[in-house]
Parts: sequence; C-alpha cells; structure tokens
Amino acid sequence: MFKLFKEIRETGDATVEYPFAPYEFPDGFRGKPEHNEKLCIACEACAIACPANAITMELSEDQSLITWNINYGRCIFCGRCQEVCPMFAIELTKEFELTVLNKADLGESCAYEVARCSCCGKPYAVKKEVDYVRNLLSKMGGPAATDIKKLDRCLDCRRLEDAEAFQLQARHRGEA
Amino acid sequence: MLADNIPPQLQWKPDPITLDAKVAEAKKKLLESIKRSVYVYRVDCGGCNGCEIEIFATITAVFDAERFGIKVVPSPRHADMLLYTGAMTRSMREPAIRAYHAAPDPKIVMSYGACGCTGGIFHDNYCVWGGTDPILPVDVYVPGCPPTPPATIFGFACALGILDQKLHASHHVAPADDQTFVAFPAIPYKVRTSFEREARRMSGYYFGKKIVDEFMLTISKDKEDVFGAIDRLIGNETDARKRAVFMDLRALLMSKVVKG
Repeated sequence: MFKLFKEIRETGDATVEYPFAPYEFPDGFRGKPEHNEKLCIACEACAIACPANAITMELSEDQSLITWNINYGRCIFCGRCQEVCPMFAIELTKEFELTVLNKADLGESCAYEVARCSCCGKPYAVKKEVDYVRNLLSKMGGPAATDIKKLDRCLDCRRLEDAEAFQLQARHRGEA
Repeated sequence: MLADNIPPQLQWKPDPITLDAKVAEAKKKLLESIKRSVYVYRVDCGGCNGCEIEIFATITAVFDAERFGIKVVPSPRHADMLLYTGAMTRSMREPAIRAYHAAPDPKIVMSYGACGCTGGIFHDNYCVWGGTDPILPVDVYVPGCPPTPPATIFGFACALGILDQKLHASHHVAPADDQTFVAFPAIPYKVRTSFEREARRMSGYYFGKKIVDEFMLTISKDKEDVFGAIDRLIGNETDARKRAVFMDLRALLMSKVVKG
C-alpha cells in the first residue's frame, strides 16, 4: 500500500496545467499562420498554394488596392504558405488559442497598393512586388539590370515596345 | 466559385434554426452563473475522425477536461453543450437537427474544427453545407485541423465565458512607402537561392531554412576566411544530419568559387 503511494508520488502528475499555466508546444508545431505585412510583397504565391482556400487575394473595385485575406476558420495548418513564400513573410507560429465567439473575428486582411503602368495607366502588378524586383535587379547588376527601366510598364506596353523596336531594326536591316 | 455562377433560385439553401428570445435570455443567464458540470454531446457530421481523436485526447488523463466537469455523454438528452464536427454533409443535416432538438434548452452549440467552422478544405464540395452555421445557431467556433487538446480546452473555457477570445478581426492597409529589402544583401542573389534550394532539397522547407540561415549568417559574418568559418561551423556541429547539409552547402559554394 505505502509502496503504491510512494510510487505515485515519484511518478508525479501526468496532467498538464494548461488553462492555469501556458502550454508550450515543441518547435515546428504548426499553429496560427502569422503574416508579416512588412515583408510581404503580395505576390499571391500563398493564395495559389493554399489547399483549403483559406488565403485569398481580392482586387478592389477601382483596382487600386489588392487585399490579402486569411480565414483562420478555414485554415488546415498545413504550412504550404510558409513553404512557398519567397519572402519568408508568413510563418506558422505556436499560437493555438484561436477560438472565437463571432465568426467575423476569424478573418484577417491587409491591403496593398497596385502599381499603374507609366505608359497607359492601367493597373498591372502590386507596387511592392515591382519595387522588390527593381531592388533585386539593381543589386544583381550585369545583363539582368539592363531592362530595369521597363519595370514600370505593363506587359502589353512592353510587348508593343518590343514589337516597335523589332520593326525599326527590321527596317534598318532592309535599308542596308 | 461555381456557386456564384448559378442563379440563386436554383440553389436550395437550408434555413438556419434561430433562437427565440426566451431561450436566448435563458442561455445568457446560464452562462452568467454556470455553477455545475457541463455535459458535452458530440455529433459527427461527416468529419474525418481527426477531431474525434482530439476530443478523446482532451478527456484522457493528460489533458483531463473532466477535472473541470466537462464530460462527454452518449445521449443528447443529457447534454448542455453540443459539439458539431465535420463539414455537415447533406445526409447528416437531418440527424444534426434531431440531435439539436433532442438536447434540453438552454444549450450551447460549438462548431469544432476547420470543417465545422467554415467547411474547411471541403467548403466548396457538392455534398456539404459548409460547416455547422448554415444549419444551426452556433455560439463558439474552435478552428484547427484538428484543434489540439489545449485548443479544445481553451474552446470550452471560451464557450463557458471563463476565458476571453484572443483572436480579433483586423484589417490593415500597408503604408505606401513601405520598403522591401533583399535578404542577405552581401551574398549574390543567385548564390543565395541555390543555397536555399539545396538546403530545402536536403532537409525540407522548415529545417532547410533554419540550416541555410545559419550557414549564410556564418558566410556573411566572416568575409576574410569564408571556408575556415564554414569548417569551424561543421566542426562544432554535433548533429550528423545537419553536418551533412552543411558539407553539401560547402561543396556547392566551392563549385561556385571554382567556376568563378
């Protein structure tokens, strides 16, 4: 009998103290995905990768803002968004206390400015993304950086420009 | 989404059951001064059983929800709280409503798991209603796929008004002058990405990132004697798997240097 009590004491308490003491999950636990708005360039990689469509991107009516949305109620905590993010802007944290009483509280969003083409004025890409590419190309230097001034034009304008350049070149070749 | 393209008169939508004022008041009163155990009845409305496993983990000795008087009962007639898991398939709608009506008023309805909250990964499936709330008045949503036992205990505590919810809706607009920066500017972009890819190939996105960050930090710190620093890093590493990745990255760097 006493041996049993002694054994129980030595074994200690198996029950966790969770609601009274914080519960610590091991490293690599996939909890609430935390979005770093500063690092994010709104490239939409996470929205494409998300198998449950918890992350979505939405263009506003006047196409001036693109909104990154996450619905924690739909998230399945698979970590695909973290895997595909080129900027490491989304990370699955150990936060697990996601219970809400109101369904609207499950949503989180962040709006990003959309850049307009310097030629035709049409919105074509997220401004932060374009800035990042410009930054990157200027750091890389070499042949990659030669087209840097074309970055603020939309795809249609760039195509047109290339076609015109080609036409001009062909004409010169014809003259020679 | 497909449902947006079909005219609404062709889509039958279930009418959610609404609480009448008297029951809502009784429920509020119950939550204000709940002084007894809460009995939970669990309804599986087409889940994958992951949620059930976590609920049973919650009532085992390690997490022990029964120390708070939360007990899982086998009949809705005994229940104070109904716990709906699963994305609410078409054929489970009727049983879910029957279980709801069988439980005595006032009762708390909990939507459990990603499927219960919004339909989760099955939200646009043809045979589900997309969660519990298109059918029943839900009081508390516990997201997670599945919610871990501590998250379940937190959910119970929120449902009973003991703890407050931590998550709140937020909407931000990113400032226009927000600057982007390139990670590890000292290392050429193509070299950095080839390191990242190699580390990822060797040990996955999670540990790969940790390892490659440590490696690149070592490189960018010691610019005089890069290979010496890497060799020291490899020598100090006790984990053989990590060492293998470091050695692989070192070989990669070496190949870059030789090609020049």
